[in-house]
Amino acid sequence: MAVVAPTVAQPSAQPPARRSPRVRWIAYLLLAPGLGWLFLFWLWPSIQMFITSLQTGTYAEGYTFTGNVGIYRDVLAAYPEQLFRSLVYALIVTVACLAIGYPLAYAIAMRAGRWKNAILFMVILPFFVSYIIRTLSWKFILADDGIFLGTLKSIGLLPDDAQIVNTTSAVLGGLIYNFLPFMVLPLFVSLDKIDPSLLEAAGDLYSNKRSTFLRVTLPLSLPGLLAGSLLTFIPVAGDFINAELLGNPNTTMLGNVIQVQMLEHNDYPTGAAISFILMAAILIGVFVYAKLLGTEELTG
Amino acid sequence: MTERPNYDDMVRQALMRGLTQRRVTRRDLFKYAGVGAGSLSLASILAACSVKGAKKTEPTGPTTLPETAGKVDIANWPLYIDKEGKNAAGVVKGGTVADFEKATGIDTRYVETINDNEEFFGTDIRSQLGSDQPTGWDIITMTDWMIAKLIDLGFLEKLHHDKLPNVTANIQDAFVNPWFDPNNEHSFPWAAGLTGIGYDRNKTGRDIDSIEDLFDPAFEGKIGMFSEMRDTYNFIFFKMGIDPVTATEEDVAEATTILEQQRPLVRGYYGNDYTDQLAAGNVWLTMAWSGDLFALQLGQADDQDLRWILPKEGGNRWSDNMAIPILAEHPADAHDWMNFVYDPKIATQITEWVWYESPVKGVQEMIAEDGKDHPNMALLAEDQFVWPSAEVLANTAPYKRLDSAEEAVWQDHFDRVVLG
Repeated sequence: MAVVAPTVAQPSAQPPARRSPRVRWIAYLLLAPGLGWLFLFWLWPSIQMFITSLQTGTYAEGYTFTGNVGIYRDVLAAYPEQLFRSLVYALIVTVACLAIGYPLAYAIAMRAGRWKNAILFMVILPFFVSYIIRTLSWKFILADDGIFLGTLKSIGLLPDDAQIVNTTSAVLGGLIYNFLPFMVLPLFVSLDKIDPSLLEAAGDLYSNKRSTFLRVTLPLSLPGLLAGSLLTFIPVAGDFINAELLGNPNTTMLGNVIQVQMLEHNDYPTGAAISFILMAAILIGVFVYAKLLGTEELTG
Repeated sequence: MTERPNYDDMVRQALMRGLTQRRVTRRDLFKYAGVGAGSLSLASILAACSVKGAKKTEPTGPTTLPETAGKVDIANWPLYIDKEGKNAAGVVKGGTVADFEKATGIDTRYVETINDNEEFFGTDIRSQLGSDQPTGWDIITMTDWMIAKLIDLGFLEKLHHDKLPNVTANIQDAFVNPWFDPNNEHSFPWAAGLTGIGYDRNKTGRDIDSIEDLFDPAFEGKIGMFSEMRDTYNFIFFKMGIDPVTATEEDVAEATTILEQQRPLVRGYYGNDYTDQLAAGNVWLTMAWSGDLFALQLGQADDQDLRWILPKEGGNRWSDNMAIPILAEHPADAHDWMNFVYDPKIATQITEWVWYESPVKGVQEMIAEDGKDHPNMALLAEDQFVWPSAEVLANTAPYKRLDSAEEAVWQDHFDRVVLG
């Protein structure tokens, strides 16, 4: 924008390349829909949500702004376990999805050959059924007297009080199951675009398979790893469906608290404050993670 | 070749502009700030963001009934009507609903959609009611305390008693002018029942007779409690030996501690979906509404022995009531439905299926008459929990009527329990 004029003219210095105003105008125009979208559907709701969190009142009489900052302290004091649980669950699920998803994505990209598209399709296939229906199905399949446990119990392989549904493992299992594709797909994309000649070159330079993987394949797949982790961690931390359908009173996540406060108690300030705390916690986690992996990898 | 700009000239020109052009004075700054503040000050943004109170201060909608529209949308709880074939969309056709359509020609959409009072209010009708939109329902069926809350918020239409001759003629005296709706201005009962304990005798291996059984570590992970705060607190009040109607904030705090200690044993806090949990064998014993268990028994598996008891410490006495939400689109048809189900013959047909107490006079007698041919109906006609005697009722209590401030305090306590 403003050209800084040096006080002493330097004859040898090239003047900064000046773009024609028209090019700059087009660039802003192209950015406008995206920026408008962000403002309308992210920034403005966030501002409104923040203001809501500082209101006090009741559902019947309405909520008015009182600058009640204390609500953040109250909410943190009331739901620390749920916040902790949401983040820990998200971490466990992300790591588990990575452990399952990386070998899977690697196999699809490097070894699947002509089956590549078919296997990819199978990874996406569950998306053809609604998220809630899929989770609900697990609840029925794994019910205490359902087709799976009931059969094992009646042939005496399991004790009568064995259960899977409504346990922590069921919630984690449901989350891993539901979010695995979000990890596999970005990993696949970055593994698939690795030039095979790079791997051959590593071999020519007497690198064994292990070090080829660690020094060539893995670094090149980092963008996919980062994208996959974020796509898993962020929605899992805010999820409430799995805890609601597959959990018990001791697996409540912060998403469940928000859902109940917003939709059942109509306590908008509390719900908004919790949402903000969750958002802040996720942002901190993501920043730390991105710093560890190196931000330049974000862009691939 | 590009021509090199003359920087000396540029600086000189800039200096000249600075010296000669009119600059913004401090007074101008205040002036502009004032204009900006008027249109977009922080205060005006904050005011614009405040959430209007939902409470209606003046009645909405017409005070006279429109013509019958030939259509009605009814929301009710599961296992609450006789049905011969529920279609895939969960819309009930057949039985009483078909009879009503035949008798009146009104196209009826009856859906078993209510699982929990708070949940239905919060997710299905609240936002429409708060913003003066029709809810899509002409009849909603809510428990007594929720009716009281809806009346306080101004969310229910006043009923036209002159359009309800069956109701005024046949309603049992005990249901007239109830504590939650003076003079039945906004509601008439659909059915009444008790909250007790339902259990599978084959799973528990022993008879259950007390609220203490819900605290037995032997049943860890197999115990169900209710997500309806009032039902669950009442049970703990009984256990503590307190009359729920007089419970204080200290009592609630103490009850909360008891519930928190119980929580590791509890499988879940359920709405009406506790019936699925019990039928699937996920819970062995659970708080339960009286009539549901009779319906479940009809469909129980060979290895199940489902039973219902009123705990010796006490149980809850409640009624579910039909009401018309404000701005309902077919209020006249809704009145027709209310009037229709208060026909003793129809009420008998419903009661023989749902096994909850009917508020309609003569139903018990008509069921006894049917009992001459059907042993099940004879059982129903004599069931002490479907038709609670004065003795049974003496061991029950209704819910405490909470004002919104008190409710918020109770709710905060209860959240600590159910939200882990």
